[in-house]
Amino acid sequence: MEKALINLHYEIIHGDFMKAGEASSNIKKALMQLGVDNAIIKRLCVACYEAEMNIVIHSYGGCIDVDIFEDRIEMNAKDKGPGIKDIELAMTEGYSTAPDVAREMGFGAGMGLPNIRKSSDEFEITSVVGEYTNVRIVIFID
Amino acid sequence: MNEIFHSVELIEEKCNGCTRCMIKCPVEAIRLKNSKAVIYGDRCIDCGVCIKVCPYNAHVGKRDVLDVLDNFKTKIAIPSVTLYSQFGEYIEPGLINDAIKSLGFDEVFDITYACDIVTEITKNEIEKMPKPAISPFCPSIIRLIQVNYPELVDHIVKVLTPIEVAAILIREKYGENSDGIGIFYLSPCVSRVTKGKYPFLSSETHIDGVLAISDLFPQLLKYINKNKAAAPQSNSNMSSTGIAWAIPGGQSKAMNLEEYIAVYGVENVIKVLDEIEKGKLSNVDFVEAFACTEGCLGGILLADNPFNARRIINKYYDKLDKRCEINEMSEEYKSRFLSDMKNNKTYNPKLAEDFASAVKKMNFMNKLINSLPGTDCGQCGSPSCKAFAEDVVRGLSTVDECKFITLKGGEGNEGK
Ligand SMILES: Nc1ncnc2c1ncn2[C@@H]1O[C@H](COP(=O)(O)OP(=O)(O)O)[C@@H](O)[C@H]1O
Ligand code: SF4
Ligand SMILES: [Mg+2]
Repeated sequence: MEKALINLHYEIIHGDFMKAGEASSNIKKALMQLGVDNAIIKRLCVACYEAEMNIVIHSYGGCIDVDIFEDRIEMNAKDKGPGIKDIELAMTEGYSTAPDVAREMGFGAGMGLPNIRKSSDEFEITSVVGEYTNVRIVIFID
Repeated sequence: MNEIFHSVELIEEKCNGCTRCMIKCPVEAIRLKNSKAVIYGDRCIDCGVCIKVCPYNAHVGKRDVLDVLDNFKTKIAIPSVTLYSQFGEYIEPGLINDAIKSLGFDEVFDITYACDIVTEITKNEIEKMPKPAISPFCPSIIRLIQVNYPELVDHIVKVLTPIEVAAILIREKYGENSDGIGIFYLSPCVSRVTKGKYPFLSSETHIDGVLAISDLFPQLLKYINKNKAAAPQSNSNMSSTGIAWAIPGGQSKAMNLEEYIAVYGVENVIKVLDEIEKGKLSNVDFVEAFACTEGCLGGILLADNPFNARRIINKYYDKLDKRCEINEMSEEYKSRFLSDMKNNKTYNPKLAEDFASAVKKMNFMNKLINSLPGTDCGQCGSPSCKAFAEDVVRGLSTVDECKFITLKGGEGNEGK
């Protein structure tokens, strides 16, 4: 398999709202240092943040890997958790099962997954109920 | 690297090497080299935090002195709206203008008129922009966005500040005869001095100099105390919507906006920008962000404390019954007041010009970070271990400046 030029790896802990957003901030800084285009940084930042929050809110914990290749950036968000029964429903704008604690903090608008898809050139979500959810996106750098 | 003009300067003899400014600088623009602070100009946002925290007064803000007036035939003052808040009570604006003239000015321009023009243009512009739109008013915040949030630059409203608008109107009024005219901004903050010399959101500035209100204050106060009893000679036609610009939230109030955020203090502004960058706050129309506490009323070139100053500004707001009277402006009229975003010289965050070298440096930098203790002790002269690693790969520091480095996980050092 093609090896990434840079790999950025972040462990995401369930319920840790304090540290939430750190991964996407760090990733943004790295992309700036590599000279990646601002518009691409913006898209990845949004996707990464939403994926991070979904792990914090909906899973038991997981990690985010950002792999930078010459022509593209891949993000893999993997978690262990309840999984998603109806992916099509979860992808619907405004659909959310976020618990009250998350809603009180302003999360749970049900726009996360749709916005991740919108920000990406390739989008893939796989999930097994009771086991895991994986979100994989690709953004091409030109 | 240091080609960007800055108004914050270090007097080396006074610097004691205490690291306070290095630690407090919100954009990590300060290092300690040979026990003296050094400001990296490409990163500095002129917020003035280092001036405030330095116990030895080693950081100072540059500005012009009143003598510059002598170089001009006709001298015109554009006072910041904050100036009117400085005298501890409501003073007739006309009397304050008289006091300004007593310093040698021929004319005092009513900046609230320019504020109202900018209000009208902004109202229009934000309709066409990504949300939330960000006010271009505080130059330190604009620099902060350019340096650390380049992907948010298109959220900044592309309108000139009331100061530039005022200066353009003055030049137009004098037209042919504008030779020998000197236009001076009376400023509450050092950041404006930089902006005055180096307008980073547009290709040129129309002002000739920036004077510190705190430098002029004693003379102004003296004049006002002496002449308080008599009716002022100058008249004034200030608007409440314009005076509101002195307070965070005032621009939004002038635009009758409801969905706005007013935030001040660089750390707080960073929190808000972090959210915008993650795609949040897209339901907010407008963000007014200021580097100083209480916005411009907390500018370090003012005399009074910002909280008392706000009390006085509120009095003006209530007493002035003129509101914004700018009517429909033609596109052509407006276009003169839009910033061209040229001269957008900004910080270059790239570790190297080409991608391959940047990748190499980043891999080395990450390895280096793992070899550092992570205690951010600052003895290397960089504000944090991460910043030190970055300095090393940028060639600004050398590895041996850290006394605590343990080269673990490095190539050839595996398993150590
Ligand atoms: N990692 C995940 N694990 C389990 N369920 C998830 C995960 N990510 C998303 N979901 C489900 O999909 C729904 C929609 O997600 P999203 O669009 O991000 O909206 P929100 O997070 O605001 O609820 C969530 O409410 C949740 O039911
Ligand atoms: S003015 Fe602000 S940004 Fe510049 S060095 Fe001082 S604290 Fe840092
Ligand atoms: Mg979500």
